[in-house]
Amino acid sequence: MGGSRVGWRAGALLSPAFVGLGVFVIGPALVSALIAGTDKTLTGPSFDWVGTANARTAFSDADLAGAVRNTLVYCLITVIPAVAIGLALALAAERVAHGRALVRFALFLPVSANIVAMAVVFAYMFDSSPDGFANTVVGLFGVAPVDWLGDTSTALPVVALVGAWRLTSFVFIVYLAGLTAIPRSVYEAADVDGIRGFARLRHITLPLLAPTTIFVGVFVTILTLQTFETVAVLTKGGPLDSSTTIIYYIYEVGFTGSFRIGYASMIALLLLVVIVALGAGGALLGRRLRRAREAAA
Amino acid sequence: MSAGTSSNAAADPSAPAGHRGPPTSTPTSTPTAARPRRRLPGIGTLARLALLTVGIVAAVLPFVWMLRTAIGPSQTALALDSNPIPSRVQFDSFDHAWHAGDLGPALLTGVGVSLAILALQLATAVPAAYAFACLRFRGRTAMFAVVLATLLVPAQVTAVPNYVTISALGFADTRVGLVLPFMTHAGMIFMLRQYMSTIPDAVLDAARMDGLGTWRTLRSIIVPLAAPAIASVSVFSFLLSYNEYLWPLLVARSPGIATPPLALARLMTDSSSVIPDFTELAAAALIISLPSLAVFVVAQRRLAAGITGTGAGA
Repeated sequence: MGGSRVGWRAGALLSPAFVGLGVFVIGPALVSALIAGTDKTLTGPSFDWVGTANARTAFSDADLAGAVRNTLVYCLITVIPAVAIGLALALAAERVAHGRALVRFALFLPVSANIVAMAVVFAYMFDSSPDGFANTVVGLFGVAPVDWLGDTSTALPVVALVGAWRLTSFVFIVYLAGLTAIPRSVYEAADVDGIRGFARLRHITLPLLAPTTIFVGVFVTILTLQTFETVAVLTKGGPLDSSTTIIYYIYEVGFTGSFRIGYASMIALLLLVVIVALGAGGALLGRRLRRAREAAA
Repeated sequence: MSAGTSSNAAADPSAPAGHRGPPTSTPTSTPTAARPRRRLPGIGTLARLALLTVGIVAAVLPFVWMLRTAIGPSQTALALDSNPIPSRVQFDSFDHAWHAGDLGPALLTGVGVSLAILALQLATAVPAAYAFACLRFRGRTAMFAVVLATLLVPAQVTAVPNYVTISALGFADTRVGLVLPFMTHAGMIFMLRQYMSTIPDAVLDAARMDGLGTWRTLRSIIVPLAAPAIASVSVFSFLLSYNEYLWPLLVARSPGIATPPLALARLMTDSSSVIPDFTELAAAALIISLPSLAVFVVAQRRLAAGITGTGAGA
């Protein structure tokens, strides 16, 4: 433990960051938790403490239940394919000898994409017109034109596709980094032991990637739970709320209509609890894995 | 599960870093020693190439389609054209989009705001990361945990109080209001701290022997050594800020200070009241993508290296 001189210096180095985090993240989060117990609106000057009324409202809110369901569906059809495809691509790209830079460049592209610009492009590609890109493609297989973003059964999957497109690229980068971190000597030792091909993937590569998988899974899920831009640009939650995610619902409740920020804060708080639980679960899992590995070594 | 793996790894630590080719299914006729990279493609290699090809096409397709739409003949919702090759090439759409969307001011605002955020974030995060990585003080672990915890707070939770704060400071609907809430970023502190933790203690001890104080050590030892990590987080920061949508949506009410994503979203909303001109929208999307694409092209390696430094180990 350092003396007070070090403590003073550390304080000076840390204070700018803590001022920023305190004023714009930690403070607001606490304030938000307080507002969640009130019936405050953005426009009304006065508000009252309503205790747990907002929480009770949330648990009986059919619209919120729909948003939760949509978010779960969105997460399932985004995270699982993104992680699976991202991993497969990373495994395939790792051993590319020629054109490595080109492969990586192309597969990194979606991460850098401006999500609003891409949402605009996807909106166009999935236009309801029979001559739209997506309808032209499915038309090749004899499928009748689909009103992709205007149909309650396809709007959410199309929005999720944009999310998955981008997340797959992110997952790819992280797995590629994870693969690079595996020493070649491990593979050479496996080769000597006659462990090759699929067996090597199953018994060596995937176990070694387990910490990466936990990180990717948790991080991508948390990101996905906060999906906003794609919904806002592509569907505005429609049609008939069929693509309203939790975060978009919070936006609707708090920043449009009657600006019920008290209730919006309560929903956000409940979401935060879920996110913290996920994050903590991931951290715990990661730690147990490390412990097990150290014990085995 | 990993027991065998670890002992295998330990069994042969001195193995040379060998060839990169697939070690599976070596055709007997191929002289592997002479040309280790060239082998007859097996079924696995073909499957891998097919997968990569599909992946690359899927990754690039929206960009290509954006370009193809922007330079193709005019298209509206009533008359779409999905031919991969446009029947005619024009560049008027860029001019139209530029004026209809007021993209010039938006680009300036977007780049300016992102650079201002980057400057503030570096100024706050570099010293904090240095303290967490290199100094020992009471409460270090707890404070670092607090920093990490802030990463979990969704923007929607902080949006309302921040809006109140920014309004109270008189910065609502200003560029300062767009910058200030992002003045520091826990992710940046985390990534820099991870990197700075790898700086050997001997370097710090040597600096202390030479009589360098905390500030001098930070400025002339730590910052140069951490330059690659600083470059990485700068790329991330710029891309995140430039692409930010929610906060500008709440704060930038007047069109004059719209950021590029906001300008594009407004162009789309405006045009959906009439018949959307997809050629113009695609041109606008392309224009506002250029700064982040340029940063990406220049700094692609840094992006990957930045994730290598954190994601793999987490």
